[in-house]
Amino acid sequence: MVDFALSDEQELLRDTARSMFTRECPPSLVRDACYDVTPDGPATARSFHATHLSEWSALGDGPLVDLALFLEESGVVLAPGPLWVTASWALPLLRAAGHPDADAVAEGTLSATVAVADAAGVWEPGDHDECWFVPHLDQVDRVVFLRSGPSVLVVDADGLDSAPIEALDRTRPLWRVRVPAGTAVPVESGAVRDALDRATVGLAAELVGVGRWLQESTLAYVAEREQFGKPVGSFQGLQWKLVDASLHQERAAAAVAYAAMCVDADDDDRSSAVHVAKAAAGGAARHWARTGLQAHGGIGYTWEHDLHLRLRRAYGGDHLLGDADWHRDQLAGLLLD
Amino acid sequence: MRLSWDPESEAFRAEIAAFLDEHTPEQLRDGRDWIGEEADEVPGWARDWQALLFDSGWMIPAYPPELGGRNATPLQTLVYQEELAARGVPRSVHFGGYGIVGPSLLEFGNEEQRALAPAAIRGDTVWCVGMSEPDAGSDLGSLSTRAELDGDSFVVNGQKVWTSYAEWAERCFLYVRTDPSAPKHKGISVLILDMDTPGVEVRPLRHITGNAEFAEVFLVDAVVPRSNLVGELDNGWRITMGSLAHERGGLWLEGVGYAQRALDGLVTLVRDRGLAADPVVRRRIGELHEEVRSIRALGYKGFASFAQGSSAPEHSYMKLAASELRQRLNEFGMDLQGAYATVTDPELAAQGGRFQAAWQVSLAATIGGGTSEVQRNIVANRVLGLPRG
Ligand SMILES: Cc1cc2nc3c(=O)[nH]c(=O)nc-3n(C[C@H](O)[C@H](O)[C@H](O)COP(=O)(O)OP(=O)(O)OC[C@H]3O[C@@H](n4cnc5c(N)ncnc54)[C@H](O)[C@@H]3O)c2cc1C
Repeated sequence: MVDFALSDEQELLRDTARSMFTRECPPSLVRDACYDVTPDGPATARSFHATHLSEWSALGDGPLVDLALFLEESGVVLAPGPLWVTASWALPLLRAAGHPDADAVAEGTLSATVAVADAAGVWEPGDHDECWFVPHLDQVDRVVFLRSGPSVLVVDADGLDSAPIEALDRTRPLWRVRVPAGTAVPVESGAVRDALDRATVGLAAELVGVGRWLQESTLAYVAEREQFGKPVGSFQGLQWKLVDASLHQERAAAAVAYAAMCVDADDDDRSSAVHVAKAAAGGAARHWARTGLQAHGGIGYTWEHDLHLRLRRAYGGDHLLGDADWHRDQLAGLLLD
Repeated sequence: MRLSWDPESEAFRAEIAAFLDEHTPEQLRDGRDWIGEEADEVPGWARDWQALLFDSGWMIPAYPPELGGRNATPLQTLVYQEELAARGVPRSVHFGGYGIVGPSLLEFGNEEQRALAPAAIRGDTVWCVGMSEPDAGSDLGSLSTRAELDGDSFVVNGQKVWTSYAEWAERCFLYVRTDPSAPKHKGISVLILDMDTPGVEVRPLRHITGNAEFAEVFLVDAVVPRSNLVGELDNGWRITMGSLAHERGGLWLEGVGYAQRALDGLVTLVRDRGLAADPVVRRRIGELHEEVRSIRALGYKGFASFAQGSSAPEHSYMKLAASELRQRLNEFGMDLQGAYATVTDPELAAQGGRFQAAWQVSLAATIGGGTSEVQRNIVANRVLGLPRG
């Protein structure tokens, strides 16, 4: 008994986001911000965020359903900058800590990231000296360190002892950062879990957007590209692969919207729904990345083609906050333990 | 977007739930899926059950009372389907009459033929549906059973196969070729055939489960009155399956309910066999749960489009997804039993041999009603808009 119909406001939000991203975020901008090896990259990402995205940070205070609609659209174009981590993760943690910067983050005048994982890549609050896999560190104003307790330590992003981690997906730069001295403020563990659920579903929504781009681009390409005198999309061996990837994509999109509803309602099914959403979305984006690349043939394997940008994000996004198999194991835990 | 329906719909749920709790026959109650039994005719309890549903307005809720319903809204119909699916309770042990024939007669029949619909839906008349032939399966349009008009009658010659319930049936909804010179989808008509017409011979075929549920139907100079033609001559192709339009938004629920119950059974089985700590088993359980739940979400997403009157592309995936998932769930249920995986003795196999039995039945799910391959072709062409091969 789930009603998936969007309200008029939700449709408007989605359409506004879609046209803004189409207008303002062409592939060349993503490449300038993330893949040109110039010192301007982070500046381009920052300025894109400041100009077009920061005003949307307040979505982080509202229903997750709305934020997820927005993040799906930003995933389609691979919008640069720290909106996902700022709105879906840092903001709820700052709110939970009653931190004075929370309002400025919601208003879009400050951006923030979250540092929690240890070197082993476990996203759980602890007392390690160094945090790993911290997204967008070079593009934000504040870092929220999530520590044992749980508690949070909020510091200025400038002047931290940090280093970039070279990784596949450069649209989401990852950093390691030494935890600075300071007093952490206690937060409720329920609030930490809530923030993590929002971040997980937000990331899954972005991955749905990534899968959507791959699906749309691939379907357009195979209808146009001809070999043996016919469009390659008419070959059944290829068609069935595209059908299977599309089914995966459809179930991911539905699972993400459902999880967002469960989080908003704090439904009993919430934990299960969040794990299902991330497992399905990570799996589907990877499925489409592989299938889309194969269906494009050689052209898709070139640096010039935008497909690899999504391939990188699909794998990068799946492995952030637990990959599909990790979430499946969590589901097994819910059912069996 | 929200997680519950309005209070009126929930009140409707309480009504059907109470009805099912009180009246569901013992044979359908054990939480398993009725997989057929050897019988020469529809079992009495199954006839009574279908008639009771009809008389109580619970057979096809969207229909008016005289057709076994209560003028339910699309949302109420969905709620009804949810409750049946959650319990795995079938309305009838022969789907064709209420699912295909009744609705088709109402939509395409003349007044006299429409009058046959209530008995078809109530199960008073048992119908079979004669589409498939030895040389026309997936390519149904190439069917060759010939009906020649001779004065006021058709003379029918040919053969049908895989005809479910043919042994039980009093009538057949028969697809025949009336114009062999027309392009293949153009010269098809639908006739109402009395199964006791001279020249009609039914030879039961056993399923791989061992039960005889379908049959071959041979037709040699069988005479059918012209008045038994449904709809227009040579225009039968449009009278195709799935005419139960009111229920299309929630047909997927049965498959998803089935999958959920199978998964629940798997979780119990894993615990009972002491495998709950096995990492490989855990991974599989997590994966299957992800599939069941995401497919369920997809079905509801499609319902939102259906309820708004738009086409629901989501639903084109549901039969494909649910039928293949169902096979994997049951197969895993067998694998978990080690050497007992292929033991069918209900005394020896886990959960009364449920997985072994259900697996055999589930093998038909990717064949009947359009094979998985044909489903993939349909999605490729109609949903994804890929060029035809
Ligand atoms: C339990 C059960 C009950 C049934 N009940 C009825 C009934 O009551 N009435 C009735 O009329 N029929 C009934 N059927 C028949 C059913 O509709 C057919 O079996 C089905 O449509 C497939 O046709 P076929 O068996 O001739 O297989 P075929 O069409 O010969 O298919 C053989 C293989 O080729 C594949 N194939 C065919 N065409 C294509 C294509 N274009 N692209 C790729 N692959 C293709 C198929 O997917 C399949 O794998 C029943 C079947 C079963 C299993």
